[in-house]
Amino acid sequence: MPGQPSTSIWLIIPACNEAAVIGRVVDDLAWRGFTIVVVDDGSTDETGVKAGAAGAIVVTHPINLGQGAALQTGIQFALRQGADTIVTFDADGQHRAADIDGLIDALATYKADFALGSRFRGGAVAMPMSRRLLLMAATWFTRLTTGLKVSDTHNGLRAMTRRGAGRIKLRQNRMAHASELLDEIARSGLGYVEVPVTIEYNRYSLAKGQRLADSLRILVDLSAQRLHR
Amino acid sequence: MIAQIGLSILLSGVMIYAWTEYSRAPAIGVVSMVIAAAGLYFVWLPSHATRLAGLVGIGRGVELFLYVWVIISLMVMLNLHLKLRSQMELITALTREIAIANVRPAASAATTI
Repeated sequence: MPGQPSTSIWLIIPACNEAAVIGRVVDDLAWRGFTIVVVDDGSTDETGVKAGAAGAIVVTHPINLGQGAALQTGIQFALRQGADTIVTFDADGQHRAADIDGLIDALATYKADFALGSRFRGGAVAMPMSRRLLLMAATWFTRLTTGLKVSDTHNGLRAMTRRGAGRIKLRQNRMAHASELLDEIARSGLGYVEVPVTIEYNRYSLAKGQRLADSLRILVDLSAQRLHR
Repeated sequence: MIAQIGLSILLSGVMIYAWTEYSRAPAIGVVSMVIAAAGLYFVWLPSHATRLAGLVGIGRGVELFLYVWVIISLMVMLNLHLKLRSQMELITALTREIAIANVRPAASAATTI
């Protein structure tokens, strides 16, 4: 390995066909001194090229597998590189880079292994009512199945310690990974804390977001996983 | 008698299939085995099937057997779906290793690995 990472805090950004925004997202994070890894999940546009040019390490899936698979690839890669803290961050530009510090501080303050961003404790700018209802239903389902007292189950902004990340083994390649991740946290028995964060919806992120049909698919995926090893 | 032997061979095949799948998908394996065993029982004792069919409001034993067969078919389909998922997990693991082995370093020196 030609060199060592500049920081022990690694940011994992799963991205698929995000060439329109990925450069700006990486730019906004790079000056803060984190090591940024963009997992290009089989994009057919220039996502990987733009992320690399903006200063990110690019891990490229030769085929599209889904956001869950991309996250797990990023986590695995960061752990192998010796990351102490791993932060997951969405590529569509709806997270605020300034919220990352709050998550990392919370890990130390509460001696937790997972700090989970919550838009319902923080803020959600321009969130449509349909999205709010969908997320509330997902939260209710996850609280019921995992026992975790969380208020926001599908928030891509999270931080975890090396120990915590080592316990995460996502098998859900697609959108069900968010629920699965909370399942893994519950099963690990490690400490977690929710941290207020702000999500800013825009036309681009809403077009990329989940719909009712996706949530039904998530339920099918989660049920199917329980039927086989 | 010929139909009974034929159906018994088919249901025995289902049982063997369920047994081989048990280690990978226990729920599917057990349910398929129980249904196939019940099918075998009713093939050789059709009067019991007729009585049970009457009890559950189906009508004739042969119709009960048909319904059981449909359920077995659905279980096999579900199992194939689960098998495809397992295959996908293998593909994912392979893709992940290929991706990690071919990492493109960052453009700036600050994040070079």
